[in-house]
Amino acid sequence: MKRLFALAFITVLVATSCGALGIGGSSIKVGLVTDIGGLNDKSFNALANQGRLDAASQLGVTTSVIESKKQEDYVPNLTTFAQQNYDLVIAVGFLMTNATWTVAKQFPSVKFAIIDGAPANAKGDTENLPNVANLFFKEQEAGYLVGVIAATMAKNKVGKATHNTVCSMGGIPIPPVDRFIAGYQDAVKTVSPSTTILNGYSNDFVDQAKGNAVGVNHIGKGCDILFQVAGGSGLGYIAAAKQAGVYAIGVDADQKDAAPGTVITSALKRVNKAVFDTAKAVKDGKYKDGDNFFSATNDGIGYGSLDPVVPADAKAAADQALADIKSGKIKPKDTVQVKG
Amino acid sequence: MSLEVLIGAGVLATALRLATPIAFAALGGVITERSGVTNIALEGSMIMGAFFGIVAADKTGSLPIAIAVALLAGLGLAALHALASVTFRADQIVSGMALNILALGLTSYLNYELYGTTGTPADLPTVPPLVIPGISALPFVGEVIGKQNALVWVMFVLVVVLQWFLFRTVPGLRLRAVGEHPRAADTVGIDVRRTRYWAVIASGAIAALGGVFLSMAISGSFTDNMTNGRGFIGLAAMIFGRWTPVGALVASLIFGYGDALSVSLQGQSLGDLRFPVQLLSTIPYVFTILAVAGFVGRSRAPAADGLPYESEGH
Amino acid sequence: MTLASSASPTGPATAPSVRQPTSQWSQGPAVPVVSVLVALLLGAIFVLISGHNPIQAYAALLFGAFGSPYDITETLVIAVPLTLAGLSVAVAFRTGLFNIGAQGQLFVGALAAGWTGAQFPDLPGVVLLPLTLVSGVLGGAAYGAIAGWLKATRGVNEVITTIMQNYIVVFVMHWLLQDGPMSAPNALGTPASSPIGAGAILPIIIPNSLVPLSRLHAGVLLAVIAVVVFWFLLWRTSLGYELRAVGLGARAAAQAGIDPRRRMIMVMGIAGGFAGLAGMIQVSGLFHRVYDGFSSGFGFDAIAVALLGKNSPIGITLAALLFAAFQRGGTIMQSNAGISSHLIEIVEAIVLFVIAAETIVRAIASRRGTPAEALA
Repeated sequence: MKRLFALAFITVLVATSCGALGIGGSSIKVGLVTDIGGLNDKSFNALANQGRLDAASQLGVTTSVIESKKQEDYVPNLTTFAQQNYDLVIAVGFLMTNATWTVAKQFPSVKFAIIDGAPANAKGDTENLPNVANLFFKEQEAGYLVGVIAATMAKNKVGKATHNTVCSMGGIPIPPVDRFIAGYQDAVKTVSPSTTILNGYSNDFVDQAKGNAVGVNHIGKGCDILFQVAGGSGLGYIAAAKQAGVYAIGVDADQKDAAPGTVITSALKRVNKAVFDTAKAVKDGKYKDGDNFFSATNDGIGYGSLDPVVPADAKAAADQALADIKSGKIKPKDTVQVKG
Repeated sequence: MSLEVLIGAGVLATALRLATPIAFAALGGVITERSGVTNIALEGSMIMGAFFGIVAADKTGSLPIAIAVALLAGLGLAALHALASVTFRADQIVSGMALNILALGLTSYLNYELYGTTGTPADLPTVPPLVIPGISALPFVGEVIGKQNALVWVMFVLVVVLQWFLFRTVPGLRLRAVGEHPRAADTVGIDVRRTRYWAVIASGAIAALGGVFLSMAISGSFTDNMTNGRGFIGLAAMIFGRWTPVGALVASLIFGYGDALSVSLQGQSLGDLRFPVQLLSTIPYVFTILAVAGFVGRSRAPAADGLPYESEGH
Repeated sequence: MTLASSASPTGPATAPSVRQPTSQWSQGPAVPVVSVLVALLLGAIFVLISGHNPIQAYAALLFGAFGSPYDITETLVIAVPLTLAGLSVAVAFRTGLFNIGAQGQLFVGALAAGWTGAQFPDLPGVVLLPLTLVSGVLGGAAYGAIAGWLKATRGVNEVITTIMQNYIVVFVMHWLLQDGPMSAPNALGTPASSPIGAGAILPIIIPNSLVPLSRLHAGVLLAVIAVVVFWFLLWRTSLGYELRAVGLGARAAAQAGIDPRRRMIMVMGIAGGFAGLAGMIQVSGLFHRVYDGFSSGFGFDAIAVALLGKNSPIGITLAALLFAAFQRGGTIMQSNAGISSHLIEIVEAIVLFVIAAETIVRAIASRRGTPAEALA
């Protein structure tokens, strides 16, 4: 009896909060569960959230978000949305692969999606489920494009890039991070084999001062173009470039506003598009479970706004590389060569 | 692996830069603990300073106002702690922890409300580097300290001023008395509560300067939790430095050096052995433990540290 | 009547001027309860200012934490490691030592348990589970004992050591799981260790037929046992008596008992053992392997839990439940009432702060004489 009462109360709560969100009952409900970085991380979670908000405004879906605070929260957070009969529950991050598998099995009528992962069973093996869409990105392609730009500028000694040295900094050496770097290094080695490549890690996705220290270190070794793949910490890496008057490259979102005049482009990973597209697919009945790749071919990756200092030939080279990747002529490597 | 990686000018300069925010926190800690109040909310004051400094810089475009606002923010948080600890005689640890959580939550919340998905604006007024013509021309020393940020020099000056204040002036003596023997101090007419209030509030302002350094000198922007535990490392540095300003500076420098090493050693190898990049990050912490363990003798805090003062008829 | 405060973490290194928190629960729960209510009121004001409906918010909080049997099990799942970590901090506090290292000790315990469980996957549960448990406890205990040893032999303040240890183990864990000896390549590159054997898994104790989706595992029983052990150790053994006496500043007890250095190592070891058990339970009960960066935050919250609970077994349990309710209810606050998770943190902080300042609440509640007399 108490349970019924509680359920009734919760239903009233959900109904009133649906009212608070101002949407009618006929639209679909999309829930987003973020990883532990929080919504303010300026990249991953923030982009996913942006996609959610875009879906709400453009598709008229009802949405909500839960920020996970620690890994124990993944299962209950996903369960919360599933229990409330959300149509689509999106897990943001490869750390949630096992949690999504667990919850998706318990709620076969709810559709799920994982960004950067596929459901992993108790043994740790991939086990695709009919109600889970695996949204993968080919980060190495985005890294390749910005690498082409960097290499072209470095070898031609454009502007402040006088030392023919480029570098990158990852947060933690995990696959999504390393794929960006791998593509970057592959492009540099292809376009300008004489360019020196440096690499490092801040071991942190939050601490700007640490990222800054790595940046100062790289600049001291001659680096002129700094590619950050480290979220909040990477902003410190960009700040080091700004203070030294050299160049930087952003990641995930278009980071030209982080330091105008310093950030020459960004390696775009259109997480917001993936979220939006999946919500739209569910709405249109075109949901596709299993692997869904977001890459050059479907505009899932790209390079961000170019600073005026980027010469026309660098842009042309990047556009050519994009075309070649689309056609399959270039397959950027996905393993890091210069580990740092 | 060259010697340059270990003690090159670049490494030492980075060490100084990384040590500065910790030193600010440690200095704040010294002041309050010398007066007998444990303030672990220095981390909170730091992040308040970091955030509200940026907000003020954004809204007013003026660096002096931004710094003033930052100081107020850090000081305000500390004032709450003083209220809880000195007037209400609350548990100082719980109060400090509560204020830390409050500061972190508040700054993250407001950060999202004000700057949402766009992030704090670029091109805010920042604290400039201080280039001293004579020194910066010197070969090695010039690279290490010739081009540091102005706040680094403020930190140095603060160390000197606080050391002199605590150990060479009468008000400083009174403050230390309040921390060591509050009852005796009370009997000779020193206002224990007021002294402690001032000390705690000052510590909040000093810690806020550390936050300003992080957000307005190093990076020019604010990201959630950008202090990342430096307030607590500062407390450790304070203990290591035996509750003196100069000691706190030395301890902070040792930690900062370890931090700088963890960056400069990336990519280096000793013969065939490459240092795993994750383990390099443990250097400053292991270093600090070894350094403290290496010093002979125990460290002693002010005798009445952390204990609320109960007086007659107050 | 003087109001004792807890030991200063950064204050005097050894016993004499350290005073113990008295077990104020014996004076009745009225004041802490009133404190919580006052705090919730202040929090409601904050929620209102930010443009949300406080009633909706608190209803979500309450029902999220306790609304249905499933919600209750989720709250308990969070409360278990919190309680154990709280015991870890408390047992040290009782002797006048400040264990900030519960988080690090938790990680070491988890790594040890994760390794043992995966190393012998075919052993039957009756052997593997105790083995895993013991390795978790011993791992945490060893890590804690290091801090005790450094203090005993070199006078290193345990605050410094444990803060540093927390950071060190995080990075070591990164290395072990990302590309070091404990990393188990899985198809997706999630840094994690090999899965533990079936025998090392703590079973779910409430069958899903009763409470669907329940994740409540046998760790809750272990936690209860740990609380009893804590009580027994401190109030029914001579060692416990001596520890409490030392914590209260009794010089005589300090000198008549065991060698103070051995005592420090022992206490920090016991403290580490409690936290290590928490880590083992998270691995055996929830994740069944060690994920990089899991369970962060318990060690820190544990300090507040221990202090709120006045370092007493019942107090700690209740405080842990309060924190767990906030975390679990907070999730529902965000999903149902759209309240930012940071706003929830602010409300939590207000609750904590008011409880810390409960003396003024005490004065208001007693309504006897002037506040000054009540405070004296």
